[in-house]
Amino acid sequence: MAEEDNHSKQVSRRKFLVRGGLGTIGVLAIGTYIFRNNIRRELLRMVNTLEMPYADNTDKPMIWFEVTSENTILLHSPKVEMGQGTFTGIAQMAADELSVSMDQIYVVHAASATGNVDSVATGGSTSIASLWQPLRELAALLREMLLEEAARKMNVAVNQLTIEDGVISGGGKSLTYAQTTEGVEEWKVPDKPVLKNLKEYKYVGKPIARVDLKAKVYGDPIFGMDVQMPGMLYGAVVRPTKIGASFISADTTDAENMPGVVKIISEDDFVGVVAHSMIEAENAKEAIKVTWEISNEINTGAIIEMMTVGNGKSTVIQKSGEALEVEDDFVSLEFRSPIGAHAQIEPNGVVASVEGDSAIIKISTQVIGITRKEVAKRLGFDVEKVNVVPTYLGGGFGRRLHTPHAVQAAVMSKAVGKPVKYFFTRKEEFQHDMFRPPTHHVVKGKLSTEGWLTDLEHHFVSGDVGNNSALIPGFLPPIIGADIGAIRGGFIQYTKVPNYRSVYWHVDLPFATSWWRSLGLLANTFAMESFIDEMALKAGKDAVDFRLQQIGDEVIDVRLKNVIKAAAEKANYSEEITNGRAMGFAASIDAGTPCAQVAEVSIVDNEIVVHKVTVSLDPGLAVNPDQIRAQCEGCVIMGLSAVLYEQMFIENGELLPTIYGPYQMALMKNAPKEIDVILLQGKDTPGAVGEPPLGPIGAAIANAVRRLTGERLAELPLKLPKTT
Amino acid sequence: MKLKTIYTLLAISTVGLMLALGKSPNVSSYVVLNMPESKMIESEEAYGQMMDVLTHQRCMNCHPNDNIPKQGDDRHAHYFGLARGKDDTGFEATNCTTCHQSENNDYSGVPGAPHWSLAPASMGWEGLTRTEIAERLLDKSTNGNRSHEELVEHMTEDELVLWAWTPGVDANGEPRELPPVSKDKFKKAVKSWFENGAVVPTK
Amino acid sequence: MEISFTVNGTSQSVEVADENTPLLWVIRDVLDLKGTKFGCGKAACGACTLLVDGEAVRSCSYPVKFAIGKKITTIEGLGTQDNPHPVQQAWIDEVVPQCGYCQPGFMMATAALLNKVPNPTDDDIDENIINICRCGTYYRMRKAIHKAAKLRAESEMNISEKV
Repeated sequence: MAEEDNHSKQVSRRKFLVRGGLGTIGVLAIGTYIFRNNIRRELLRMVNTLEMPYADNTDKPMIWFEVTSENTILLHSPKVEMGQGTFTGIAQMAADELSVSMDQIYVVHAASATGNVDSVATGGSTSIASLWQPLRELAALLREMLLEEAARKMNVAVNQLTIEDGVISGGGKSLTYAQTTEGVEEWKVPDKPVLKNLKEYKYVGKPIARVDLKAKVYGDPIFGMDVQMPGMLYGAVVRPTKIGASFISADTTDAENMPGVVKIISEDDFVGVVAHSMIEAENAKEAIKVTWEISNEINTGAIIEMMTVGNGKSTVIQKSGEALEVEDDFVSLEFRSPIGAHAQIEPNGVVASVEGDSAIIKISTQVIGITRKEVAKRLGFDVEKVNVVPTYLGGGFGRRLHTPHAVQAAVMSKAVGKPVKYFFTRKEEFQHDMFRPPTHHVVKGKLSTEGWLTDLEHHFVSGDVGNNSALIPGFLPPIIGADIGAIRGGFIQYTKVPNYRSVYWHVDLPFATSWWRSLGLLANTFAMESFIDEMALKAGKDAVDFRLQQIGDEVIDVRLKNVIKAAAEKANYSEEITNGRAMGFAASIDAGTPCAQVAEVSIVDNEIVVHKVTVSLDPGLAVNPDQIRAQCEGCVIMGLSAVLYEQMFIENGELLPTIYGPYQMALMKNAPKEIDVILLQGKDTPGAVGEPPLGPIGAAIANAVRRLTGERLAELPLKLPKTT
Repeated sequence: MKLKTIYTLLAISTVGLMLALGKSPNVSSYVVLNMPESKMIESEEAYGQMMDVLTHQRCMNCHPNDNIPKQGDDRHAHYFGLARGKDDTGFEATNCTTCHQSENNDYSGVPGAPHWSLAPASMGWEGLTRTEIAERLLDKSTNGNRSHEELVEHMTEDELVLWAWTPGVDANGEPRELPPVSKDKFKKAVKSWFENGAVVPTK
Repeated sequence: MEISFTVNGTSQSVEVADENTPLLWVIRDVLDLKGTKFGCGKAACGACTLLVDGEAVRSCSYPVKFAIGKKITTIEGLGTQDNPHPVQQAWIDEVVPQCGYCQPGFMMATAALLNKVPNPTDDDIDENIINICRCGTYYRMRKAIHKAAKLRAESEMNISEKV
């Protein structure tokens, strides 16, 4: 019989420390490689397919699981939830190993104070893949520890015990997990946890409804923007409208007298104001007159000129056979992609509360560790004294891999002695984004008389993606020589072609560029898969077969071919135009996950209309097939938005536009009315999901348009020539 | 009777008969009455000033000849696909007043005035010449069945029309351009033009 | 000045220094109802959509002075876990949200649409549902809207107070 719980209704949690003993490879280990070209290329290949493991200092105990007195489990997640479904996936994994029901698991963002902060980031489509082994092992450890203690308490042998939904039974007795943890001072941690057989899993592999579904449907205050702290004030920081502006001085006299103003904060590198409300802070900010030194009044045209293959520093990232010579008779096509904004609906912001020598930072962030370090450094605090509490993100997409506003809010909070909430306005979001860099591609190829590629080269230029990001250790880019973000999708997958080459050119841009969901994949795949399609047409071959015959036979190649076949079959791929609709095909591999797509497109009133997209994806083991479907649907729509509508311009040094509307994005009416998703399982562990489906959509649409109009649209966003 | 008088009487009675029959005469059927030179000039000037305003993009934007409101000095199509809908007020659930209120909003840059909506399709002016606009204006079947008096009232007192002179700021906080003629001058011009018979210059 | 209106069925009276303060900030920061979101402040994204006397309004571009005497409905008042609005039930059935930030605005816009057009066609949806979702959940939203129309018709038969 279960013991009655005589305690009061207050939730009392028995903190249950589990030592995380995780072996890691991690980014840092790569530093031991020496400088040799073939090693470097191998490194690049590895980086392209590297499943970033959960990399952290695991010497200190950290809180992963808490058993509550209500017999529920709090799972402190080191990865943040930004819509990609990580919380749900890890809850499933934990529930299965812990033998509790989904209703008994609550996932919360791990505050940095719990210790299990992920010092890398949430991103790169790595969360579930990297936590698959370590998290299940930790859960299994906990389960075994509980079994051993229950056995001791009940005086029953461990092998006589069974668990169901967090209740351990055996020998006619039972104890809940909560009861099991009572009175234990020291736990014996088993060395090696025994994981269950996959077949025993009730939740992993099933389309379980998101664990955060109700919170998001009922409008619970879960986002960074929603944080409220007692006595909280509101801050605003003046930001320049022009690129490369340096702060010289500020005249704050008008602002000081505005209603609701508490204090003006003047630092060497920024001016801010704290007031009693958001509106009052913004109004006062407008009244601060800042003198900027403008170094650069460039325009889009200048950027396009800079972003031309042949400019900047080049690195051969992949090669086989011989390079094409200038005199050779080959086909060469150019492609371009524009500056892309993240445009996530929740602006960047933070609530900082500094008291004495410690700080609490509540923030939507993808880089808890970095946020913490930067705030600690600026305030001169011990890192341990800065507690970063992540919130649900209203969109991440790589935007929140940089959080300088956390530092500014902390400085403002320290100055006024109260918590300060500081958010970017939408204009500031647009002008101070760290954009997806514009790119230029020259793709070259040559066909044999039988119509197969003898040569294939992809030369592409990009600005920073990974380089200069706080995430990448400074020594890494020089070793690799190429920006590991920009080269995503830049590896040629047609390895049966006798001669191929992929060359990356790097240009330093005068404005900030960085990670945008799928990084280089979107533009690189657009260029390559458009080119391949063009060559298939030239060779008179079916676009799908042309690809299949020129992909190699390694494991990853076979997986790619399988998704290609699956998509073509499901979509009934045809090169015919039926009822004014044409199909376009494209495929890519990203972070080890192959994806193929067929887009069904027609032209209505001189607009490109995407009616249906068929997606096939091989993400390895599918922890939650419905959420993977959702990621595919989302990537198709986000990708369609980027390739059909989105672009930023620069006019007289100012990034424009600064509001939705002029920054055109896909709306409901632009989304395909049909999206079919087929999932394959080409390996038995989970792989990348969140970004790979962004690869094929651009070329799939462009290839369909090619068949409809005969015209090869080579610039993003895709625009049909105007009819008179 | 003098011939001149006969002609004049005939003209007046024709006009009178047609008015009595409730039909607005065609511009071309107006006969230029015996107007002193100075009045003609005054009338033409007033017409010119009035038309300078009516053809300003701020007015044209809500008098489209298709079903799409326009925005801004560059007269781009209203973002997000907003269109006329059934009652000139947008779609059933997402309509003009979802965003546009009865006054300008300085925080959002959304313009506003009472009964914000599109002018009816019959009062679409895009692509029309001044003469054609005047025609539409004076024709009761297109101008909302308004008499001259009612037209004057609409054009000089309707708050949505007068909004043109207090157009507020845009999303960037920048003040919108004012019409080329001041509000007072415009009102005077409208009144003057109608007082002088709403004569459309033939050139 | 003091401004009184009804929010989700409860009378509220707030003291505001500036009567032009957007209703959004009064709802969020004075009344502490965080479900209605700030996305752009320029009536472009629709994340701030709520209902004023049953009509969809973008609250970032609606001065609180206009709310005097009005009935405001926010996502918190649309429905609850115990009593979900058909739109919310449909959103749950179709597992629509990803990051979730834009969702309340869409649900309020959808509720307004169904009040006017109980059985919307895809064209009705295209015209009226023009908020922005960056995660790209439109595909599931469309399904949910059709489902919500069905659920609403079913619950209309058991009359409940219209929002």
